[in-house]
Amino acid sequence: MTGIRSLVSIVDDDESVRESLPDLLKECGFAVEAFASAEEFLASDSVGRTRCLILDMCMPGMTGPDLQKELTLRREEIPIIFITAHGDETVRPRVLEQGAVECLIKPFSETALLGAIDTAFRVV
Amino acid sequence: MKNKLSRVVDALPGLVWTALPDGRIDFLNKRWCEYTGLSADEACGQGWETAIHPEDLPEVLDRWRSVLASGKTLEMAARLRRFDGAYRLFLFRICPLVDASGQLVRWCGVDTDIEDRLQSEEAMHARWWLWPPAREHHFRSIADDIPGLVVLMNPAGEIELVNRQVLKYLDTTPEELKGCSIIDTVQPDDRPDVLARWREALDSGRPYEFEARLRRADGVYRWFQTRAFPLRDAEGRMVYWYLLQTDVDDLRRAEALLAGEMRILEMIATGESLPTTLTDLCLLVEKLCTGWACCSILLLDPENGKLWNGASPSIPKGYAEAIDGFEIGPNVGSCGSAAYHGRQIVASDIATDPRWTAFRDLALVHGLRACWSTPIFSQQGLVRGTFALYAREPSTPTRDDQVVVAQVTHLASIAIERNRVEENLRRSEAYLSEAQGLSSTGSFGWVVSTDEHFLSDETFRIFEYDPSNKVTLQMILDRIHPQDVALTWRAIALATEGKNLDYECRLLLPSGSVKNLHIVAHGNRDPDGRLEYIGAVQDVTRTRLSDEALGKARSELAHVARVTSLGALTASIAHEVNQPLSGIITNASTCLRMLAVDPPNIDGARETARRTIRDGNRASDVITRLRSLFAKKDVTTESVDLNEATREVIALSLSELQRSRVILRPELAEDLPPVTGDRVQLQQVILNLLLNASDSMSGVNDRPRHVVIRTRQDDDDRVRLAVEDAGVGVDPDCVDKLFEAFYTTKNGGMGIGLSVSRSIIESHHGRLWAAQNDGPGATFSFSIPRGPVRMTKVKSLGILRARAPMDAAHIMRTP
Repeated sequence: MTGIRSLVSIVDDDESVRESLPDLLKECGFAVEAFASAEEFLASDSVGRTRCLILDMCMPGMTGPDLQKELTLRREEIPIIFITAHGDETVRPRVLEQGAVECLIKPFSETALLGAIDTAFRVV
Repeated sequence: MKNKLSRVVDALPGLVWTALPDGRIDFLNKRWCEYTGLSADEACGQGWETAIHPEDLPEVLDRWRSVLASGKTLEMAARLRRFDGAYRLFLFRICPLVDASGQLVRWCGVDTDIEDRLQSEEAMHARWWLWPPAREHHFRSIADDIPGLVVLMNPAGEIELVNRQVLKYLDTTPEELKGCSIIDTVQPDDRPDVLARWREALDSGRPYEFEARLRRADGVYRWFQTRAFPLRDAEGRMVYWYLLQTDVDDLRRAEALLAGEMRILEMIATGESLPTTLTDLCLLVEKLCTGWACCSILLLDPENGKLWNGASPSIPKGYAEAIDGFEIGPNVGSCGSAAYHGRQIVASDIATDPRWTAFRDLALVHGLRACWSTPIFSQQGLVRGTFALYAREPSTPTRDDQVVVAQVTHLASIAIERNRVEENLRRSEAYLSEAQGLSSTGSFGWVVSTDEHFLSDETFRIFEYDPSNKVTLQMILDRIHPQDVALTWRAIALATEGKNLDYECRLLLPSGSVKNLHIVAHGNRDPDGRLEYIGAVQDVTRTRLSDEALGKARSELAHVARVTSLGALTASIAHEVNQPLSGIITNASTCLRMLAVDPPNIDGARETARRTIRDGNRASDVITRLRSLFAKKDVTTESVDLNEATREVIALSLSELQRSRVILRPELAEDLPPVTGDRVQLQQVILNLLLNASDSMSGVNDRPRHVVIRTRQDDDDRVRLAVEDAGVGVDPDCVDKLFEAFYTTKNGGMGIGLSVSRSIIESHHGRLWAAQNDGPGATFSFSIPRGPVRMTKVKSLGILRARAPMDAAHIMRTP
């Protein structure tokens, strides 16, 4: 790990995710910012600094894929790890095809999460 | 002495005479001589005979001789010539004079002038028959006016005198009849009876009667009623018999016709079969119309215009069979023509009648020579058949025959019509009976004042009584379930007030089985003002059982519906559960990491463990909510806050709605009164309406997918919940179908949600309906009484099973 801790941003409307996930990632040595919606994330100054985006797929208003498209339009090439509670096995390939690094189905293990983040950092 | 006596005798005011035992006159008193103008010498011996009217003399001499022989007394009348040549009627009284030894010594005679008295009724009555001319004159004057045959007959049975009617009937003269007996004219079959009565009367001397047929001059026998009275002289000797004979032929015929009519009407009334009745009718006519050999009744089949044998007891069999089923026409024998033209057809001689060409040989072979056919009409004037009389000789109907046939065709018409009516009645009764059987519905009549009961067969079957029983109120009460007897008495009390009845009760039958009855009755006053109930009894036992079965099926269906919505919510449920699970795993991982560092981050670990527990509870709550909503549980009633129940449903479905991009706006009324009902079932309905609203907008991309869920209190103490969507709306033509089971507008939908929802709402005494919005979409609403209400009866409650009360603490978290 580098001295400057890489920023991982989390966008999820579910409060418990926003509570628990940052703590875990901090324990693992990442810098973490959590946002309750895509709009909030886009409005923040974290977009340019984010090395990895953990993005909930289903949210009121702008959804995860919507944000992905928006970031592409803005040429913000941030590796994205989708997380979803609605997920099934058919979702993952479709999401990966759309350019995501990984798609994690809630609930996911720490290992799967860290593995995905590792992949994301290697992409860059 | 003798002279003295002579003077006395001469002085007597009467004409007195004596004769020797041999009849020679030996004395005539002075008055006799003065009256006749004859001297005693002239008159003695046979000289007196010149004073007797020549017409009367033979009888006088005849009787005088007979009394001389018998030595008895004699009374007779005869005309005696007066001195001036005028004749006056005298009564001759002659008696024998005997001596002490009994020896006849003289005849004494007294002649009394009765000419004046002859006119007097008393004299006539007393004496006229003593004088033949008076007798005859008198007899004729009376007897000729008597409307009947009057015969004066001597004790030997010989005809003495007859009135004019006798001469006319027998077409004879008095001379020809002289010495004849009335028995000669009596029909040979009747003679023995007539003679027996005659002899009996001779012995007893009492009046007698008989009825016998007397031969008319033309050889026709007619029935006469004869009454005979004895006529006696002063000494009580029977001298003549009077016979009064009255023609009762028409009467007897009319009586026979009447008796026959009565019998046939009785047969018709008692429902005797048509062939039997018509056969009897034929036999009656054959008896009455003696000029005809046989008769037949043919019945017209209106369908094909053919005549079929109705009755022909005496018609030759071969003939009857040969003509059975021939078609009527303008010239088809007597019957075919009569039926065709609708009027009487007389073929007085079949051998020459042009209408008989086709059947001539057939008829003649069977010895039928004349046929007279009369159509039988219905009351509406339609030809129903024909009545035909056949004769073996060329014949035409007499007036009497016409009278008989007019009567019997009328009777035949009644019999045929009655038969048709009864057939129709039987048929409709059969239909009714079948219908009653099929529908398990019996009918009954009840005259309240007399307590008479009339039950249809099906009613008997329902009550399990034999239809031959006469049903009493007690018998009915005996069958009523003991728990329903009071109810039945209440119904009876209502009935006696003239109110209509509509109630249900149970029967407890001897077998121990129980039947559920639905009884509806309508009271009417008959023309006498008596209250009468006509009603129907339906055995609804099976309906009850099938209601329960249907309820069970509905319950299964409701469960299927729930499970179906569970399927629809799977993603939502997964989300609801996975969300906290995700938190738990993440927190637990964090916790472990915090404890693994040196020094361990105890505070951080405690915090993450706390969150783990919280998320665990959250997951548990979701599971509890799901279980209560989707488990197959029995119905319960409790006080339900519809707002709270709605919020729970929203909580459960929110993520599903979000996924479908539905924007839900709850507009829940404040201070909404609680309703009484089954919370889970009501939530089931709300969920169903919400999911339907969401589904209806799945294809909508040009406008926001808004759903408004509203609660409010209606004016009439009802609480309403409405779900308004902006979807495709409802087709007004199909709005009722929406609530039918298995009707669906969705691909993959089962079409049971709304039907189950409606049955749930109805079990809450509520109403569920759909309406097209002014803008896009539809609004589905239900309203239920705010309660407390008793839930509907078990029969429609299959789906509303009692369920354990839900713990308020386990209610879902509101987002």
